[in-house]
Amino acid sequence: MRQQWLHGFLDLCLLCLLLERRDYGVGLAQRLAHTGFGDIPGGTLYPSLLRLEKQGLVQAAWEASDVGPRRKYYELTSSGATAATERAQVWREFRDTMDRIAAPARTAPAEES
Amino acid sequence: MTASQWHESFARTLVEHGVAPGEARRLADDSTEEAQAANMHPADLFGPATAYAATMARAARPAPLQSLTRTRGPVVLRLTGVTKRYRRHEVLRGVDLTLRAGEVAAVVGANGCGKSTLLDICAGATKATSGRVERSARIGYAPQQRGVAPYLTPDEHFRLFGAVHGMAARRAVATGAHLASGLGWLPRPGIVAGQLSGGTQQKLNVVLGELNRPDLILLDEPYQGFDQDSYLDLWTQVYAWRDAGAGVLVVTHLLHDLDRVDHVLELKATEDR
Repeated sequence: MRQQWLHGFLDLCLLCLLLERRDYGVGLAQRLAHTGFGDIPGGTLYPSLLRLEKQGLVQAAWEASDVGPRRKYYELTSSGATAATERAQVWREFRDTMDRIAAPARTAPAEES
Repeated sequence: MTASQWHESFARTLVEHGVAPGEARRLADDSTEEAQAANMHPADLFGPATAYAATMARAARPAPLQSLTRTRGPVVLRLTGVTKRYRRHEVLRGVDLTLRAGEVAAVVGANGCGKSTLLDICAGATKATSGRVERSARIGYAPQQRGVAPYLTPDEHFRLFGAVHGMAARRAVATGAHLASGLGWLPRPGIVAGQLSGGTQQKLNVVLGELNRPDLILLDEPYQGFDQDSYLDLWTQVYAWRDAGAGVLVVTHLLHDLDRVDHVLELKATEDR
């Protein structure tokens, strides 16, 4: 279920990570993994990045690296930064609503002894 | 499958999904370089080449233009008391509809309730028994499983239908190819319509209906035989036409997304009345 949910929120995750700082694909995957979302397959990550690029929210360019092969770096455009802020606000409202609805289920029903 | 076979298969499948060859090549080069940089086999990084190509092709499609304020224009179709009888069998009774430019109307109802007949009447292909039909002059018409000549290629269809609208042959072919790519379809040269799958024939139908940038677009269940993704693409396309200022009448029996359409015209089988 988490994977399905993440699918719906991956674009927003990437916008927020890129708002923090520009990054390349593997770097973004590592940051997602470190924050607790587990491994994101490349088959999910790169289409999401391409979609954001096509929507004009992200721009990408290959850059030489000091330590290894070239990397394709992604960064937000100005409309990408706006979209990140707006969508994060929508997310907070959605989360608050969901929290209210889920509140009764917060504590597991007491087991009969 | 070797890495280079994977990339070849990826590039080829992208093109089959309507990505322009130049862009498909760029995307394939990118994936090659990403896989090499990660020191991984592309199948391990991206998954199977064909599945990844389908996903990337969908992501690569140009985003539909977002129109902030949708403007409703003049009336492009008005039906007043339209009735159709075949001998004593009444198919349609007293149908009223007003559709403006920039609106979408969905015609729903059970099989045999006259949906296709109504569309034919709107297009002028069938005469109503009584009532009045007023519509704009430039219409696009994509009937169900008709209107495709089995021995002509898609390009020949584009030239033929373009000629009807006074378009130059080259422009008709270029416009047709562009519209086809929007539906995730790259017409291959030399393949006649009769050899295309049912779903692709319907895409050809939809493209032909849109060739002359009509004010009124009439679609008859064009996604029958489309796969699920193409079906979603079609509704995206319907709203793109609407936002570009056309009035769109869609005959459908799937109740997907009906909350977004402006008018729902529900036809009832005449026996029910």
